[in-house]
Amino acid sequence: MAAREPAKRIIQQVRPILSVDREEARQRVINLYKAWHRTAPFIVEKFDIPKSVPQVRQKLKEEFIKNKDVSDVRVIDMLVIKGQMELKEITKIWKQKGHIMRYWQESIEYKPNDFLSKFMSGHN
Amino acid sequence: MLRAPMFRALVLAQLPSRAGILFTTSRMQSNAPAKAPEKIEVFIDDQPVMVAPGTTVLQAAAQVGVEIPRFCYHERLAVAGNCRMCLVEVEKSPKPVAACAMPVMKGWRIKTNSDMTRKAREGVMEFLLSNHPLDCPICDQGGECDLQDQAMAFGSDRSRFTDINHAGKRAVEDKDIGPLVKTIMTRCIHCTRCIRFASEVAGVDDLGTTGRGNEMQVGMYVEKLFLTELSGNVIDLCPVGALTNKPYSFVARPWEIRKVDSIDVLDALGSNIVVSTRTGEVLRILPRENEDINEEWLSDKSRFACDGLKRQRLITPMLRKPDGEFEAVEWESALITAAQAIRNAPKDKIAAVAGSLVDAEQLVAVKDLLNRLGSELLCTEQKFPTADGTSGTDLRSNYLLNSSIASCEDADLVLLVGTNPRYEAPLLNTRLRKGYVHKEQDIAYIGPEVDLSYRYEYLGNRSLTIEDIAKGKHPFAQRLKQAKRPLIIVGANALARNDGKAYIAALQSFARQLKPEDKNWKVWNVLQTNASQVAALDVGYKPGVEEVLAAQPKVLFLLGADGNAVNKENIPKDCFVIYQGHHGDQGAQLAHAILPGAAYTEKQGTYVNTEGRAQQTLVAVSPPGMAREDWKIIRALSEVVGTVLPYDTLDELRNRMEDIAPHLVRYGHLEENNFYAQAEQLIKTQASSFQGDVDVNQKSLEDFFMTDSITRASPTMAKCVAAVKKAQATG
Repeated sequence: MAAREPAKRIIQQVRPILSVDREEARQRVINLYKAWHRTAPFIVEKFDIPKSVPQVRQKLKEEFIKNKDVSDVRVIDMLVIKGQMELKEITKIWKQKGHIMRYWQESIEYKPNDFLSKFMSGHN
Repeated sequence: MLRAPMFRALVLAQLPSRAGILFTTSRMQSNAPAKAPEKIEVFIDDQPVMVAPGTTVLQAAAQVGVEIPRFCYHERLAVAGNCRMCLVEVEKSPKPVAACAMPVMKGWRIKTNSDMTRKAREGVMEFLLSNHPLDCPICDQGGECDLQDQAMAFGSDRSRFTDINHAGKRAVEDKDIGPLVKTIMTRCIHCTRCIRFASEVAGVDDLGTTGRGNEMQVGMYVEKLFLTELSGNVIDLCPVGALTNKPYSFVARPWEIRKVDSIDVLDALGSNIVVSTRTGEVLRILPRENEDINEEWLSDKSRFACDGLKRQRLITPMLRKPDGEFEAVEWESALITAAQAIRNAPKDKIAAVAGSLVDAEQLVAVKDLLNRLGSELLCTEQKFPTADGTSGTDLRSNYLLNSSIASCEDADLVLLVGTNPRYEAPLLNTRLRKGYVHKEQDIAYIGPEVDLSYRYEYLGNRSLTIEDIAKGKHPFAQRLKQAKRPLIIVGANALARNDGKAYIAALQSFARQLKPEDKNWKVWNVLQTNASQVAALDVGYKPGVEEVLAAQPKVLFLLGADGNAVNKENIPKDCFVIYQGHHGDQGAQLAHAILPGAAYTEKQGTYVNTEGRAQQTLVAVSPPGMAREDWKIIRALSEVVGTVLPYDTLDELRNRMEDIAPHLVRYGHLEENNFYAQAEQLIKTQASSFQGDVDVNQKSLEDFFMTDSITRASPTMAKCVAAVKKAQATG
């Protein structure tokens, strides 16, 4: 029994994507957040969106908070990589105005879920 | 056109048949002699089959799955044998024989696909086609025509008919036989199905043939209308396009329409129907076969009133403005206004009245809502006698047609009281006529003199006669006591009168005294007139509006209540009326808020017919405009009121219905009734006396067509009434 314990620990060890522990991952997230935060005035100016800088930063915060419960270091790393890609697409102006506005989902109409709103809209 | 399915003939052939009786049903067995005669063996295309003596060649062939083509033969009509399409070869017989009329003999070897048979068929088909117009492209029967199909399957590939003198084909003048059936008599192939239907089933011996040979014509002899409540069935029977649906003419082709099986709700029988729709519109209604209810017939009202589903519809919620006009509003404001009225009313001052076309789902939802709010004021429009306003409808056997529709033809003595089955339930009347014509049934009748399409013993219209019979003083009482299978059928409208108690008190106890041969035979029968009545009484609605109106309700739900039981005079002045229904009829005029619902072709709803059989309609088209399915309206309203009903889907609602009354969701099943003695005890009252003579609401054909909000909105029904009135005026 005792001999198996170290072997098991070795098997459970996984290869990290970027960070080796939670603290490192946290640092990466904060760096990414800061980078986005600094870009906010640029986004408002270059894309000419009908949003103010505080609104963009509010949305940015919301997007990060969406993933606040992620605890797997590898998932956090992957999300950071995707966040960097998004940011690059914005700074290089690969995205367009519509892509930015999509963060607010203003044009999406959600289908009614409860009985009464389904009834009113004639969806049932 | 209804295709004649083979299996029906199959069932018949397996039963012991009685010579000379060609009217058959699946229940003939009960009347058949005890000792089954020995079976004989015949060979159909070298396949051996054992059949009862008297079986025709056609039926024997059907037993082994060989369909012999036919035009004139129809299972529910007498054999005519005049189209000759069913000719088949019998070995060692010099001539082919007509399969529909020839009983088989022992050891016959029948060849349904030999050269002689094929030649005979091709010959018959050539003769038929040489006198049949080539107007299939403009013929309404096109695509569902027996002649087309059989010409393709059994006809020759060429014709010897050449019009060398350019004389043209035989042509016959069209007849005007009314607003329902269009005639193009040139297309007629003289199968005489319509003639036999009229004289055997409908009991109107008006159709017939004149002339012989090439000059033969089917018609009415004189210029008159085909005045019967069953005239539409000749359209289904006609194998060609000679008799077609007039309101449906040039409307659609059979391959473009979508067919949905459903249930008719315009009388209390619940006839099975097929609703044909295209692009969200009901185009026509055809009967669907159900041996227990409508066989394969359908009354004219059920068949032709479907155009009423497009007129006078309520398509948007409406609120009454202070100046008395209605204003179309969104659902939200309509529901909020209605909910406010409900919330402001004292909890025991909220009432509901159910009309004649309401489905069980809605009935249950409304009852649940009102009970949760704390009110018990729920009633149906039509009255039914109750003892001291409490019981009487607690046991079902009091208000049902207990002996079932199909069994009515087996009775040997029938007493009809205060009902005209011919117009209240035409297909029950055909059952009675069938019993009268084929099973030596005797029928007696108390009420104003009417034409029931068969001869009956007229006992007058005095209510005194009922008392005499009940006391055993009348000579007819003795006959009922001696009868083996007596039947007393009382009309719901007679029981809905103020003296309805007297009818039920006199006749039900008398029915209990009778000793039919079979212990399970049920003598006491009520013929309901409203499709919703049985379900409403089953779930616990009180019959009659008096009690509810006496409670001076502050909010009144009218659930399609258009029967004038609630009207301007008897409604409390400060009462907020919510009308929920599909037609802007009498009930909607009283309303302060109108909630548009779905008609029977637009919702999946449960209806219980007069014999207590639950059946469901299916959605054929979607409700027009902003109209919604009825139970959903109540469910939505309950949420706005703040007393949420615990079901969001139809399945959940039906689970709730099953909790209340399990038979409501056993579709197609006829629930047995019992507790007759107790039922009678419940309804027994103190002395009650008759007031006035026995009467019926529908006396002649003109009273038949318009009886509810759908038929009143139907232009075709209006044309029928006008045509009947005109025909009666001119004699």
